[in-house]
Amino acid sequence: MKKIHIIAILIIAIAFGVIMTSLSNNSTYASFKEADEHPTRTFHVVGKLDKNKPFLYDAHLNANLFTFYLIDRDGTERKVMLEKPKPDDFEHSEQIVVIGTAKGNEEFDAKDVLMKCPSKYQDGKPTETKQTSSM
Amino acid sequence: MDKITYIGEHTLLGQLGNGFVFLSFAAALLAAFAYFRSAQNDEMEGGPWKKLGRIAFYLHSLAVIGIMATLFTMIFKHAYEYYYVWEHSSNSMPKRYTLACFWEGQEGSFLLWTFWQVVLGLILMWSAKQWEAPVMSTLSLVQAFLASMLLGFYIFGIKLGSNPFILLRDAPDFANLPLFQFPDYLTKLDGRGLNPLLQNYWMTIHPPTLFLGFASTVVPFVYAIAGLWKKKYGDWQLDALPWSFFGIMILGTGILMGGAWAYESLSFGGFWAWDPVENASLIPWLTFVGTGHILIIYKARKQGALSTFLFPIITFVLVLYSTFLTRSGILGNTSVHAFTDLGLSGQLLVYLLFFILLSIVLLVVNYRKIPKAEQEEELWSREFWMFLGALVLVMSCMQIIVITSIPVSNKIFGLNQAPPVDRIGFYNRWQVPFAIIVTFLVAIGLFFKFKTTNIKDFIKQLTLPFIISAAITIIASFVLKLTNGFFIALLFTCWFAVVANFFYLIKNKKANFQKGGATFAHLGFGLIIMGALISTSTKQVISVNTSGKNVESLGKDISNATDILLEQGDTLRMGDYFVTYTGKRKEGHNVLFSVQFFSKDSATKKYTPQFTLNPLIQINPQMGNVAEPSTKHFLHKDIYTHIMFADLNTDNNASGGNEYGEAKPHSLGVGDTMFSSNSIIILTSLDTHIDKLQYHLKSDDVAVGAVLKVIDVNDKIHSAEPVYVISNDMVKPIDAALPDLGLKFSFQKINPETHKMDFTVSESKRNSKDFIVLEAVVFPYINVLWFGCLIMVLGTVLSIRQRIKKGREAKKLQS
Repeated sequence: MKKIHIIAILIIAIAFGVIMTSLSNNSTYASFKEADEHPTRTFHVVGKLDKNKPFLYDAHLNANLFTFYLIDRDGTERKVMLEKPKPDDFEHSEQIVVIGTAKGNEEFDAKDVLMKCPSKYQDGKPTETKQTSSM
Repeated sequence: MDKITYIGEHTLLGQLGNGFVFLSFAAALLAAFAYFRSAQNDEMEGGPWKKLGRIAFYLHSLAVIGIMATLFTMIFKHAYEYYYVWEHSSNSMPKRYTLACFWEGQEGSFLLWTFWQVVLGLILMWSAKQWEAPVMSTLSLVQAFLASMLLGFYIFGIKLGSNPFILLRDAPDFANLPLFQFPDYLTKLDGRGLNPLLQNYWMTIHPPTLFLGFASTVVPFVYAIAGLWKKKYGDWQLDALPWSFFGIMILGTGILMGGAWAYESLSFGGFWAWDPVENASLIPWLTFVGTGHILIIYKARKQGALSTFLFPIITFVLVLYSTFLTRSGILGNTSVHAFTDLGLSGQLLVYLLFFILLSIVLLVVNYRKIPKAEQEEELWSREFWMFLGALVLVMSCMQIIVITSIPVSNKIFGLNQAPPVDRIGFYNRWQVPFAIIVTFLVAIGLFFKFKTTNIKDFIKQLTLPFIISAAITIIASFVLKLTNGFFIALLFTCWFAVVANFFYLIKNKKANFQKGGATFAHLGFGLIIMGALISTSTKQVISVNTSGKNVESLGKDISNATDILLEQGDTLRMGDYFVTYTGKRKEGHNVLFSVQFFSKDSATKKYTPQFTLNPLIQINPQMGNVAEPSTKHFLHKDIYTHIMFADLNTDNNASGGNEYGEAKPHSLGVGDTMFSSNSIIILTSLDTHIDKLQYHLKSDDVAVGAVLKVIDVNDKIHSAEPVYVISNDMVKPIDAALPDLGLKFSFQKINPETHKMDFTVSESKRNSKDFIVLEAVVFPYINVLWFGCLIMVLGTVLSIRQRIKKGREAKKLQS
């Protein structure tokens, strides 16, 4: 099975190369400060919404722009420009991940956003229902 | 404290259920042990250990069915005293979703998996003949692990399994709720209910299919283990072969059902989103397909025994790994639909590691004795290229595993790698080269013969299909405007797979219709990849801004402006259509938005209604609201619409206009900021030099202007200056409006003590005129994909029938 061995090794080598390259192209989790240092690279920044600052969305002016302020885990705050409509239930999110690039140490251009809502799955405790069951 | 006697609880059901849970675990262990002894003693039919093993497995089967029946009865009876029932069902839920409630939770889906393995185990028990004892021993051990997931014991502080029969009032989170002070609490209780997102007929058929697929990977695995254990390295492959193709078909169908579900009613924006949970189901399927083909090679050539052990073992281990990924909570934020973490990750890890270790030990012990091929395979033989194909599938699978496992490697190595940014594009890009090789092999594979092929004949047969496919590809690439070289190459190999297999079918129909199964399956596979390629690479977002209305205010360079604002009554052009948002209505927990599509006759300029789509938003207090797309299906394309943003209040069908709404008060000092829904407003300074003539004021009137800097979402700066006027001891403010933003400001009062100024801000009702932000996408030729699925399933059924028939004939010849 020599021929097969050679081909198998070749395929594995190529595939390994492919996988490693695909990994190295990847983004990493970072803070806003790190993102500022590499303005061309895309980062995932995890943080919390600053609820004292405005989050603005006007579908009439621009249906694909939503801005808000995010405080990352190091406590740095940035204005985030999300190139999407305002996600539903945004105000209730407990943790937010923004994916995008830093812009001029002041803003963060986000292509996408992931939210974790505290209500997800856990909401609701057994309570008395208003209408009694029909059964 | 007195113990409360609760009224109306069905505690007997829970005790019964718990009894079954324990019995299923104990009986599975006993069956594994008895069958183990039977296999070690090489018992003949009728041996005592074998008898005991059978009885134990029957008991186990009975217990599993008992658990399911009990749980089902509880859900049906709305027995909310049980946590599982309360968590997954409710009074208002239609009865047809009872099954869906059953397997919504982890415990129920483990049960489903256990149940299918019971069914497979029983069939094996009756049909495996001399393999019964070793095969059933391993299978019973797998069952014992699965059954332990339901135990719900605490041993040395470690939680072993999660029990579906725990009482609500015993659940740690709820134990001290005041509700349980009342003996009749049950009369007041309603369940939390099935997640509305899952109230869908797919939820009834997709999980059982998928879990049957997962369960069937166990059959080739237990055969491989039995082969190593009993040192019969070449006898089991024929028995495992039909099972493999059965599993490939079922698991494949289950995966594609998931895709169809996502496409039809989830907001993934396509049929395959490379979500970690989707990937977790695809990963074992790829190596399972490899397994089937490796077994065919072995059957034909009695060569490559080692890989017939490796492939089934890898496939089964990957099923366990997928289970670990989706159920341990490790995927965290990276997936939209992993299971909730029940604290079983340790137990799942033990399950996974146990079978990995068992396999490695058996492989190492037997490695030298597994027969190796004496002669090298011919380059021009079917087995060589089949083996190559299986290897490519493994490599493709590896790429998906490595990327999907990023959260795992982060945890192990303490890294902070993030999942791919543009996940769908990322995987598509990296998987296309693998797909090109695989579809190419699918095209040429059947034209090779086992052992050796007459290469001249081979080329002669493939020349015409090659030319036809190349011609179609060139034309199709022009029509579809494909420019990416990889995509064109893949389009070609897909056409080649379809055309070549079609030729093969016609040419060999008379001589050998039996091979039709494989040909059909390969042809179907070519169509699936082709449909996926065309519909994703040429999908066209038609909801781009064509009105020219907002372009100048965009300011930012927005690259992915794929969503469009549609005001009620407005008609905008989208692709070949003109689209109007006509209104919304509420149905159950859904808000439906009517979007009407028109065509326009260019000569008469008349609009003709074509069809109406109703994308909706599901009001879902439990998990957050969810948008559900609506799709118009044509034979050659789909038009997919999806609500990105909308006002859900159905009472307020505001007619719009220029009226202003309620004035909201704000109190500001100089330099302070206030907000409206669309802008930031800063009081920059006070202006005491008001040109009184301009405002038609008398010279002794007091007038102070407030200079407001208004920054809109696009960072465009506007300014407004409302004026505070005292005329004849009366306050007569002069308002300032910004019609572009729909804002009106009024300067109401100056408070000298606090240095604060009072303002009111009113927003135009235009801002509350009903509108939606819509995404609309055309998916061309997506039906090719679904049609391909049908053909592939049909082909696999044909080939399984053929394999079973051939297997029986071979057995007859032997005996």
